[in-house]
Amino acid sequence: MSDNDIDEGEGPTADGSGIVAPDDETPTWSERKERSQGLSRLTYEYFERARREDQDLRVESDYVERDVLAFPAWPHEMVRNLALTSFFVGMTVFLAAAMPPHIGAPANPSNTPAVILPDWYLYWSFGLLKLGPLNPDLALLGGQKLMADRTYGVLANLVVVGFISIVPFLNKGAARRPVEQPFWAAVGVGGVVYAATISALSVKNLLPMDSHLLFDLTFLLPIVAGCIAYAVFKSMREGYMFELNRRYYRLRPPK
Amino acid sequence: MADEFAKGFTILVTAGLAWLTLAGWYNTPSFEGQQLTAADPTSGLTVYDQVALVLKDALFWFAILGFVTFVVVIPAVRKLREAYDGTPEVPE
Repeated sequence: MSDNDIDEGEGPTADGSGIVAPDDETPTWSERKERSQGLSRLTYEYFERARREDQDLRVESDYVERDVLAFPAWPHEMVRNLALTSFFVGMTVFLAAAMPPHIGAPANPSNTPAVILPDWYLYWSFGLLKLGPLNPDLALLGGQKLMADRTYGVLANLVVVGFISIVPFLNKGAARRPVEQPFWAAVGVGGVVYAATISALSVKNLLPMDSHLLFDLTFLLPIVAGCIAYAVFKSMREGYMFELNRRYYRLRPPK
Repeated sequence: MADEFAKGFTILVTAGLAWLTLAGWYNTPSFEGQQLTAADPTSGLTVYDQVALVLKDALFWFAILGFVTFVVVIPAVRKLREAYDGTPEVPE
């Protein structure tokens, strides 16, 4: 801001003389960076030294420079990883010390609990077993169902697992960011929301809401979320930051 | 924008963690019962307990209001001032 305030009043004239900075007064970009204060100066010096050491090492070695956009593992990546590791270890120790978990009475193997549920990360599979209302009554069979509801639920598991196992074989292109491919990103958002809603369906007798409404929402919410995500990603495909990030994240072709 | 977001986020997670701990001590009567939201205990409170209960409420609102202030209010005021002054928008 203060840089702009200096040259107020003597803007570029019609002959273009104001565009050129007065010689010996305009700082270069490196001088600008060096003059800045505090943390930004420290960061600049750190990276500048790291860059310089890197350059010296490259010059004096027969190291073949790879065309990869990254920092060296030591110290940059390792410092970051140690910081993250310390944070999570500290958080675990803090929570374990401040709020020790409850240890319940030992399980009684001769008693069946009132509520039987799988672990939470398998709720989606448990929910797929409750798709009975989608199992069609076939007029050809005189209104009978082709298979039992439980068979239908197990087959639904196969469909979901089969679809997920196809994903690695789909050509998703070189894009690394959801905003580059709004449609497929929206499909992904719908899938994540569906995982949440089908998990909620699996515990429908524990949820304080109408189970028919819950069943409808299980399939409507993913579609709604996908549409919203598509609109958001589409609207994000413009602007300065989008272009900048696209240039930054584009992988360079191998030589 | 990024700086303001980091400040607000720091307030949210730090004050939120402290609130979580205090609520876990005072407002979670049993592991399988109500979690973090049960009524405050009324009897047998020492001075430290009473201070902690006041601190718990203060931290809860500090987490929410601090986050909203730095992430919503301050950027909005800046945008409004930019629009009012007619200066070009700074890309963030």
